[in-house]
Amino acid sequence: MTEDIHERASKLIDKMQVEGLTAEERGWLETHLESCAQCQKQARETERVLRALRTAVPQFDVSLVLTTQMRARVRARELIENTARMRALWISCTLSWILGVVSAPLLWRGFEWLGYRWAISRPVWITGFALSWVAPAVVVAAVIAWRHARGSRVITDN
Amino acid sequence: MGLATCWFMNAVEHEAGEVARGLRRRDPTLLDHLIQQYHYRLFRYLLMLTGSRQEAEDLFQETWMRVLEKGHQYNQRWKFEAWLFTIARHLAIDFLRRRQPQSLDALLQPIGTDRPLELEDTTFPSAFEQAFQGEEAASVAAALAHLPPSYREVLTLRFHEDMELEEIARVVDSPLSTVKSRLYRGMAMLREWLKDVYA
Repeated sequence: MTEDIHERASKLIDKMQVEGLTAEERGWLETHLESCAQCQKQARETERVLRALRTAVPQFDVSLVLTTQMRARVRARELIENTARMRALWISCTLSWILGVVSAPLLWRGFEWLGYRWAISRPVWITGFALSWVAPAVVVAAVIAWRHARGSRVITDN
Repeated sequence: MGLATCWFMNAVEHEAGEVARGLRRRDPTLLDHLIQQYHYRLFRYLLMLTGSRQEAEDLFQETWMRVLEKGHQYNQRWKFEAWLFTIARHLAIDFLRRRQPQSLDALLQPIGTDRPLELEDTTFPSAFEQAFQGEEAASVAAALAHLPPSYREVLTLRFHEDMELEEIARVVDSPLSTVKSRLYRGMAMLREWLKDVYA
């Protein structure tokens, strides 16, 4: 029975630091501590350990802050410039795509006329039309992929 | 009291909003300010997690680079420091995984109650102790060095950062019950290690 009381006190001492106690638990613990030297000692030890933990100060190299701030500024500038470039690229792509869609019928007629004029078979001039239509998108995709790979490498290297 | 709490909450939310907007813009002045404001707390957290000054310093820089790159993902409903520690934690886990190619559970979670995981570092715990100044701090550091990283982590979040238990659970991505049990066990182990020092 006495063992249970001390065990409960021990649990409450820890709970007080971790979760906090209800008024009833706090009242019980205070009453118990008044009459139990063993649990009082544990409460004191716990408080001392946590005080020591809170005041344990790791040494810090201030130059690390300056170095990090400098690195962060450089990287921020890179990212901002990169974002601006990518935005310009996307705008160009969108405009190019719209222009491509709008001009597709005209281009089709142009290829059809060339095919007729130079007696090129239908599958060949249709392939030519398809290639000329997708070529800009393929080039842009390749540029984006290359830039992305390069960006990842820069991050890894840093 | 209610009014004061309300005002405080509004102020915190406003500040988090400012941080979120600044991070989206990648504002270098804001970042300077954040590094200045949180440097010590972040470093202490990383030191507790890795147990090595050199690694904590490397991860410190990487964490801020990641903050810069992922800044647009910061949700202002989170406290900035909780988000910052989450980023630092993920980087530390990646780092520990590279150093000890085991599962994440094995790396950060102790196996059983009486077998705390020790980091395989030949300089450990002396390197960890050297990172602290003062005699008492060195004793605490020596005791901390014998704790599993996952215990040190929750102890620092609770007793250095004064984080709420729910916040800690979110940062360490574990259930509340796990956080509590790590805290209780960590405290008990720390008390045990320091018993002789304080005797």
